[in-house]
Amino acid sequence: MQYFRTFKDKIFKSLPVIFLYYSSFYHFTLPEVGQINFFSFNFQMILIYYYVLKFPDDLGFGNIFLAGIINDTVLGMPLGATSLSYLTLSLFTSYIRNATLRPLMTAEWFTFIPALFFSNLVYLVIINNFSNVVFYYVELLQNTFFTFLFFPIFHYIFSQYQRLISKD
Amino acid sequence: MSDNRDDFIIAIRYALLKKGAKQKFSLFFLILLSISIITLDNLSLPFMKNARGVLNDFVYRVSVVSSQPSVFKKYLVKKTIQHFNIIDENKFLKEEMEYLKRQKFNNAYLSTENQLLKKTLDLSSTKNFEQDFFIFAKVILDQKSPFLNSILINKGTKNGIEKGMTVFNRDYLMGSVIETNYLSSRVLLLTDLNSKIPVMIEDSNVNAILEGTGFKKKLLLSYLPDNYEIEPEKIIFSSGKDGFLIPGIPVAKTYLDKKNNILIKLLNDPDQALIVSVTNGKNN
Repeated sequence: MQYFRTFKDKIFKSLPVIFLYYSSFYHFTLPEVGQINFFSFNFQMILIYYYVLKFPDDLGFGNIFLAGIINDTVLGMPLGATSLSYLTLSLFTSYIRNATLRPLMTAEWFTFIPALFFSNLVYLVIINNFSNVVFYYVELLQNTFFTFLFFPIFHYIFSQYQRLISKD
Repeated sequence: MSDNRDDFIIAIRYALLKKGAKQKFSLFFLILLSISIITLDNLSLPFMKNARGVLNDFVYRVSVVSSQPSVFKKYLVKKTIQHFNIIDENKFLKEEMEYLKRQKFNNAYLSTENQLLKKTLDLSSTKNFEQDFFIFAKVILDQKSPFLNSILINKGTKNGIEKGMTVFNRDYLMGSVIETNYLSSRVLLLTDLNSKIPVMIEDSNVNAILEGTGFKKKLLLSYLPDNYEIEPEKIIFSSGKDGFLIPGIPVAKTYLDKKNNILIKLLNDPDQALIVSVTNGKNN
């Protein structure tokens, strides 16, 4: 029974990492039914930002790096571009975490904007300088906007989840 | 100012170099590793190509596996939509089938009616009515009695006319011979009180007896089924149930009078009859 409990706890604890890898292997979009991709957002960025900010030990930097490598492989981007972008996000988030005295959801939400900005900036610089991939800036902007917009929803979901597993 | 900068540098350094309790790599190390990988990948070194090939193969396979839930979900959505479409289609097809069944019955009836009408039309040409007797006669006297509606024709037993023969005016049944003389005959009209012929009503399988009432626009249908309501503008045909008249001879018609009562009138106006045809009228 104790073994099962430990195993269950480990699974629940690893779920963010599993989600991170899963979303790297498989890029889902919100309206999967149909062709409209208007609400596309970067789930990984929200996940990384939230967990590095709140529970940095649950989502190791190594996992973030590896997820980025997988992401690049799946999308055919220069290897390491997404990793560096995610790590930049993690760096910025770590800085926010260290600099924040009293965490507030709204403050976290708005600090997500510069985090996204720097992360995407690094990504764009690498794409523009190290590959011939043609990029739709509008799409990236749209994606970034919805990533920012959906953050409170996921913040709530992740908070509830963490509260749930901490009770167990 | 200097303190703020120091704080910033300390925070950045802390973020870069600090490893958590469970962190194996610092951010600084991983960022350097990423930059190295980007550089190596950009240089397109042979070992990097091989490494990328292996990585691609592995990641693609895992990616295919990880996309299966989505593929399955799409499959489920598609099948569910198909299922509901099939339900709707099934409902529609059932209704259509019911409609076609009704149409089929209607067609069968119309087909029968058509055959009967064809035969009836043949009556007008008086060639293929499959009677072994046919003769034209002139109306010589029209009885105006309200109790006995009959006419006298100028053909009798001399011409082969027998009692019970059927008399037509144009294409319509007019009556039957009730009295024969050598040179003349009496025809009892359908309007007569004593006239009773088996009939059927258009677009229905209803059989009845058409009785005369003395009035050409007010005939009576008796022995109708219970709760049966006569509809206006329906043709009444002879049913041939008596074994004497040919089925399908148009006899009368239902109509609405000024007070919206459904009445029955003869298709043939006996008052206008001048030349009639006399047949043996048997259903061969």
